[in-house]
Amino acid sequence: MTPAVRRCDVVVIGGGSAGLAAALASARTGAATLLVERHGYLGGMGTAALVHSFCGLYLLRTEPGAELANPGIPAQIEERMIEATGIGPRRYGRVDVLPQHPVEFARIADNLCAAEKTLDLSFHSELTGVERDADGWRLSIATRGGIQTTDAATLVDASGDAVVAGFLSIETVMMQANLLQRPAYVFGVCRPRSAEDHDPLLTAGRIVEGVRSGEVPDEALGLVFRASGRPWEMFGTIDLPGPADGGYDPLDPSCLGELERVGRAVATAAVRWLARKDPSWADAYISHWPLRAGVRESRRWRGEATLTGDDLLQSRRFDDETALATWPMEFRENTRGPRLRFPHTDDPCGIPAGCLKPAGMDRLFVAGRCISTDHDAQASIRVMGTCFATGEAAGTMAAAASGGSA
Amino acid sequence: MSSSKKDSPSAIELIDWLNGEGLLELDWDFPEDGDLFAAGLDSMAVMQVVVAVEDEYGVELVPEDLSKEQLATPEALAALIRSKRQ
Repeated sequence: MTPAVRRCDVVVIGGGSAGLAAALASARTGAATLLVERHGYLGGMGTAALVHSFCGLYLLRTEPGAELANPGIPAQIEERMIEATGIGPRRYGRVDVLPQHPVEFARIADNLCAAEKTLDLSFHSELTGVERDADGWRLSIATRGGIQTTDAATLVDASGDAVVAGFLSIETVMMQANLLQRPAYVFGVCRPRSAEDHDPLLTAGRIVEGVRSGEVPDEALGLVFRASGRPWEMFGTIDLPGPADGGYDPLDPSCLGELERVGRAVATAAVRWLARKDPSWADAYISHWPLRAGVRESRRWRGEATLTGDDLLQSRRFDDETALATWPMEFRENTRGPRLRFPHTDDPCGIPAGCLKPAGMDRLFVAGRCISTDHDAQASIRVMGTCFATGEAAGTMAAAASGGSA
Repeated sequence: MSSSKKDSPSAIELIDWLNGEGLLELDWDFPEDGDLFAAGLDSMAVMQVVVAVEDEYGVELVPEDLSKEQLATPEALAALIRSKRQ
């Protein structure tokens, strides 16, 4: 007996910020939509990697007050997050950032999806193969129960790593290892003190002291702590350089695994040092590890259009634009902290539809950090606020292209 | 103190040095009493600055030196480095 083949209008690969928005947008048109996610919750970097800020939600502004850049799903998620945390956007210079909590984000994603009758979720599932046929795509999806076959009229690659391109052996773009944005390793800390009773400069000095003493690894020199907004809870973030030989490869599981082991070792040494040396850190401990490191940049698609750093600097607009990019280009090719490049004016840049359409392919769309851009533009559009917007656009286009045949 | 280390910097020299080391991106006309925190000095950059100050000027800044006042401006940071060398 041949196992039943499932048929969908739209399949979205990856349930991070882009895939979540793509699946919601597709389902809201009435298209039978399946969202394939490798973990047991949605949110991607914002949940599994504990990245706890939504950047790119708001326009750049000199005047006070945050103003949303993209309506629709980004605005809905913003509203629900503010309601959940009680924390509004924070201003840093000309940018506004919304602190977000990974626990709330996973729950908000559940609730948004549950409201869509034509949306199915397949968690604990990984795409393992893609074939083109006359009606669209035949997908192989690996689960612990075996390989499942699903047919899709259209496909959205929101994997962050252009995995569909990988399976189709299509030429993609990836920077050489030393030019890739460095990944972040974020972990949860319980520090039984009020958030006000934390002096980040003193903590910074203590970490340097620990590194000088030889008890804390050098990588800790990039470690920063932020209050999570919940009593006694903080997040620690370290940007990691990757292997000493310079061969950082975000697609290589052994490289990522080693990076994550280093992250845990550095975090453990630093928090133990602080707990021992600083009364305001007494009894602090690491409360949880991320499911994975926070990859900022990896492989991306070549699209019908490619957004460039110059487009961002010039705040260029396009007739077929699908979303607005507002986050300054944030470069982290080394672990010495971000280098921000702002556009010449505070105006946003358009993201053309062609960046979401792989060159020479139909029935296929891309969303999130692996859309078609150059390295500089990717340093802006990779942030979650913008990924919601490109996800919504890709999901809407994918549903329209599917013809609703399922 | 090692003789290979540079003399205590003036505030102006410090601005050039912070830029040159890539520790901060300060405008060419950044004032000696300009706000370094507003210019991007955060706790992460402070760690890099402390390590670089030790390498360049042979001065070991300890946690208690790292108050907001003592790091606030190029002038204040230059004065801190000077005071630690005496």
